[in-house]
Amino acid sequence: MRAWPFLAAAVIVAAIVFALARYLENDYVFYAGYVVLQFIVLATAWNILGGYTGYVNFGSAAFFALGAYTSVFFHKAYPLPIPVLMVIGGVVSGIVGLGMGYLTLRLRGAFFAIATLALAVVLQTLIINWTYVGGARGAYVIRPNEIPILGSYIQYLFLLMLVLAVLAVATARLIERSRLGYGFATIRDDELAAEACGVPTLGLKLIATTLSGAFMGMAGAPFPYYIGYIEPASTFGLAYAVNSIAMPMIGGTTTWIGPLIGAILLGLLQQIATVTISSAVNLLIVGMLLVDFVIIAPNGIVGLVKERRTASNVVVEPTVFVLLFVLNLSPMYFLVEQGTAAQSIGLVFWLVLAYVAHMRGRVLGRWWLIAFPLAGILFAFAPAITAIPVTTAIFASTILQIICVACGLLPMRRPAEASAR
Amino acid sequence: MSEPLLDVSGLGKRFGGFVALDGIDFAVQDGERVGLIGPNGSGKSTLVNCICGTLHNETGSVRFDGGNVDGLLAHQRTRLGLARTFQLPRPFPSMTVADNVRVPLLYTVNARGHGFLTAADITARCVDLLNIVGLAHKMDKWPRDLTQVEMRKLELARAMAAEPKLLIADEAMAGLSQVEVADIVSLLIRLNERGITIVLIEHIMRAVMSFSQRLVVLVSGKKIADGPPDVVIRDPEVERAYLGQ
Repeated sequence: MRAWPFLAAAVIVAAIVFALARYLENDYVFYAGYVVLQFIVLATAWNILGGYTGYVNFGSAAFFALGAYTSVFFHKAYPLPIPVLMVIGGVVSGIVGLGMGYLTLRLRGAFFAIATLALAVVLQTLIINWTYVGGARGAYVIRPNEIPILGSYIQYLFLLMLVLAVLAVATARLIERSRLGYGFATIRDDELAAEACGVPTLGLKLIATTLSGAFMGMAGAPFPYYIGYIEPASTFGLAYAVNSIAMPMIGGTTTWIGPLIGAILLGLLQQIATVTISSAVNLLIVGMLLVDFVIIAPNGIVGLVKERRTASNVVVEPTVFVLLFVLNLSPMYFLVEQGTAAQSIGLVFWLVLAYVAHMRGRVLGRWWLIAFPLAGILFAFAPAITAIPVTTAIFASTILQIICVACGLLPMRRPAEASAR
Repeated sequence: MSEPLLDVSGLGKRFGGFVALDGIDFAVQDGERVGLIGPNGSGKSTLVNCICGTLHNETGSVRFDGGNVDGLLAHQRTRLGLARTFQLPRPFPSMTVADNVRVPLLYTVNARGHGFLTAADITARCVDLLNIVGLAHKMDKWPRDLTQVEMRKLELARAMAAEPKLLIADEAMAGLSQVEVADIVSLLIRLNERGITIVLIEHIMRAVMSFSQRLVVLVSGKKIADGPPDVVIRDPEVERAYLGQ
């Protein structure tokens, strides 16, 4: 698809999302949706630098916070409409991105990542000591309750973030298929060879750091209006840095759709976790899924779909198989007490289990291994549907999974036959 | 005689206390086929890196095509028409064979300003180039699917895509069988007949002797011989460097 039809399609999808959200007539949908959209922008922005050129940025939170604090500054100094603030936030973060790129151009790999982390710390210290924007105490930004036409203000913020998300994804896709995208990919693959092919690597890296930073800043600009009160510790918080790395990693870093999938999946899961369990569980879920994906699918969901055959290699190792099983089974026990709503989070881990069992089954020639996690899913949802007591369901499910691990560890009975197949 | 295409004068490069190159003077005429030989560690690759801008020389200067290129970055020199291949092939692993060749077309040919290739032109040019090196049937494969000799050919095709005036082939044949070496040599001679000046850096003497019109010998960062191949290899100093005393 060319750029304009894609943009049109994206706008239509966005319009449907907005219409659906309004149809639900529940402001909470907008609050939750805003966060998911914000993560789509952050993940896509991170991916422009981290995925396309291979430069891992640990300082996403700093660019995000810079956008947010630019808004706080203008809110106090000279109030402006939020779309204008988003542009200004983007410019400020983009300039900082350019500066960061310029200072760290010669660093690669871990050294670049450490430098971005250092930048985040420096900027946070700066904000903590700048009393005009609230300093360490933080700042209140009172937003109006209503807005003409749309009604509630949160719908306005949601709409702005939706537009930004469409813009970010469309930009990422445009880059990917352009000359710039080829240039970025050569930087990721081999900078020396890229230079020999005439690719101006330094210039392209600067474009990437600037664009990436600018989108993060734009995502941060409406944040004070969304949250009402911001302070440095949470705005520069670990959650933003970790999420903007985890989402593209889980979705897949080399294409525009990877961060989109990752952000929607992780963003929704986290919103569900916040409502059903607690907001503190968010990072736990992200962390566990990140471990899963780094092991099972280093190229993310997109990579998993593209190269199905290579994914089974990791479970050839029995220890990896057992560890993955234990890791993904453990959340079930604390999720069970949280009621049926939390089961949708459990379902994700169950699906990972089913995948692991399926792959292990293929290695051993025991295709029926997948039946155990599938039965586990049935048991997980059984108490809600039937009258089985929860404890019985957990007990039965646990026994089944232990059998599954045991069967997955048994040596092949007739190796000759298995290898002949 | 007109000004040489490549003119290296008094080139010096040191890594810490180690003198890698010591006052190298070296010129290549337009259309020439030059062989550059020397024992391991004699500074051949360092010389290539200094000429191509991957490394920067501390003393001396490099002139290319009538202009001084000192201080220019590697990609700027590529755009001037100075292409190279790497000693160990360095393909872009995440791109198909065709896309590997596409990169220099996008970034060098289109960046030169005279004549702009459309997407269709570029695709046609990729096929042409891969045909020349005999890789057209593998254009949709990944570099990891290629054999060693195919990888070298891809490396050459990618260098050729930049439409160079001068091609520096850094050990394009190391580790190949005799048949494969002959294959690459004839490919290089064909490229030279198309008007590209070629500097070949090589250990395999058969290849160098059959390819070169002139031979330059480096030993311990110094040029010890420069002349017709059959004269140079009988030079006592060259014999000493290669065979010991």
